[in-house]
Amino acid sequence: MAKEGVGTAEAQTDKQGKLRAESDLDMLRILVDSIMEYAIIMLDTKGNMVSWSPAAERLKGYSAAEVVGKHFSIFSLPEDAASGKTDAELKTAVREGRFEDEGWRVRKDGSKFWANVVITALLDTDGTFKGFGMVTRDLSQRKEAEERIKGQAKEILEMATVIVQVWDGIILVPLIGMLDSERTQQLMERLLQRLTETNSPVALIDITGVPTIDTQTAQHLIETIKAVRYIGSEVVLTGVRPAIAQTLVHLGIDLSGATTRSSLTAGLRVAFEIINIHVAHESAQGAAVGK
Amino acid sequence: MIEGIAVLKLRDVLLVTMPADPDDSTVSALQSRTLDAMEQHDVKGLILDLSKVEILDSYFARTVAETAKMVTLMGGETLIAGMRPSVAITATELNVTLGATRTVLTLDRALDLAGNISRKKSVQKTRSAL
Amino acid sequence: MSEPEQGTVPIVLEADIAVARRVVRDVAGKIGFGVTETTRIITAASELGRNVFKYAGQGVMHWRTLHKGTSSGVELSFEDHGPGIADLDAAMRDGFSTGGSLGMGLPGAKRLMDEMDIQTTPGEGTTVVVRKWRHR
Repeated sequence: MAKEGVGTAEAQTDKQGKLRAESDLDMLRILVDSIMEYAIIMLDTKGNMVSWSPAAERLKGYSAAEVVGKHFSIFSLPEDAASGKTDAELKTAVREGRFEDEGWRVRKDGSKFWANVVITALLDTDGTFKGFGMVTRDLSQRKEAEERIKGQAKEILEMATVIVQVWDGIILVPLIGMLDSERTQQLMERLLQRLTETNSPVALIDITGVPTIDTQTAQHLIETIKAVRYIGSEVVLTGVRPAIAQTLVHLGIDLSGATTRSSLTAGLRVAFEIINIHVAHESAQGAAVGK
Repeated sequence: MIEGIAVLKLRDVLLVTMPADPDDSTVSALQSRTLDAMEQHDVKGLILDLSKVEILDSYFARTVAETAKMVTLMGGETLIAGMRPSVAITATELNVTLGATRTVLTLDRALDLAGNISRKKSVQKTRSAL
Repeated sequence: MSEPEQGTVPIVLEADIAVARRVVRDVAGKIGFGVTETTRIITAASELGRNVFKYAGQGVMHWRTLHKGTSSGVELSFEDHGPGIADLDAAMRDGFSTGGSLGMGLPGAKRLMDEMDIQTTPGEGTTVVVRKWRHR
């Protein structure tokens, strides 16, 4: 831009500046209106809506006429508005210049969507606080993907606890890793289900793949053993190697509800004995009847 | 809805079948009917069929434990058959005890075992008679 | 479906404990809890309802469905104007099996549910609130 004489040039650039400012505003308006992914709206210093955009209408369902002058908390969950969370958001924006949050927001029809919201405090060139800019982004798709991954993680967790029928009447659980509450619950449900479905008198739980026994894992094992016994089966616990045996004794843990062995092979032998006792009973019955 | 317990005497074994969600009076009937039966007949064992039971609270568990103790005192044994996984898990978390009872997977197995109990006892009787 | 529902079951007769169980079963079914979770909730309700009957003579169970974001759950509140719990710590201690002695079953009920709050004033009464959320 060429510089000319001071007086007229300034007047000219001033005028041009104003024109530019106006056309800049128009450009900004056009830009904002054309962005569909982000709902950009302006709030006054109290949080009431002073501007709207087509994206905002598309995302939240309200027309401009329906929202102008209303407080932005109509987009939040009722409990968040009631608890003062929305006021706190504005306060943070004023204090730190910016507030960002991810959470549920509500459309006009009452439906919920997961959103990323950024509220910026808007200051004039001389530092006067003018209001807020609020940018809302619909993250529903990402949320769906996350839920899907969570579901898959759960499936992986389930797959990690393998339950195998190794013989007629013997269900084997080769445990790998530690047992937390969630894993134990899953284990108990699946193991008991399998035992009752297959009528298996023996649950062979191998803890060779469990690195250490802490009180929590031991408690969970005890719970599992109790539950298996309630349904009428027995537990043979294998993989109780010297280090584990030492820990169990030191922690004062009582696993007397189960038959324990140090190796899987030894455990299998016990399991077969138990099965054979059952077989012997049934054939004895048969023999008695046959007489 | 009236849920009753079914009591059956099979030779010298008492078979009691509990309904899905017995109220307190039905649960206490388990104890009274068992004691009656043991008084009137030569009953050597009690088989408690829990395969229909959906809820086992502490009152139910306590009644079972008490009844089993009485059966033991009178020289008999108690077998519990068919407890459901959900009930077993809840019973573990509730930390109840079923006392002097033995649990088996199915009624079938319980009857097998009960047969053995009576056979054992009658063999003992025959031996002592000699 | 997201409409919160609620109700009340008076606990006056011993038979009301079973009524409370049936109501809780219905509510749990509406929320969509699985078999094992439903069993836990009903069993906890039975224990706490029994407490009301046994120690206070009578009381009430309020129930309501819970909704928070995508999660749903159930809240049960057992209220009585009975003697209250003199030693809450002892009551919450799991020193004995509920099968043998006359314990209050509070630790068991707490284990079965996700959350438990107890308000008690000796001589005035007790309120036990338990909640369970549906895990997907």
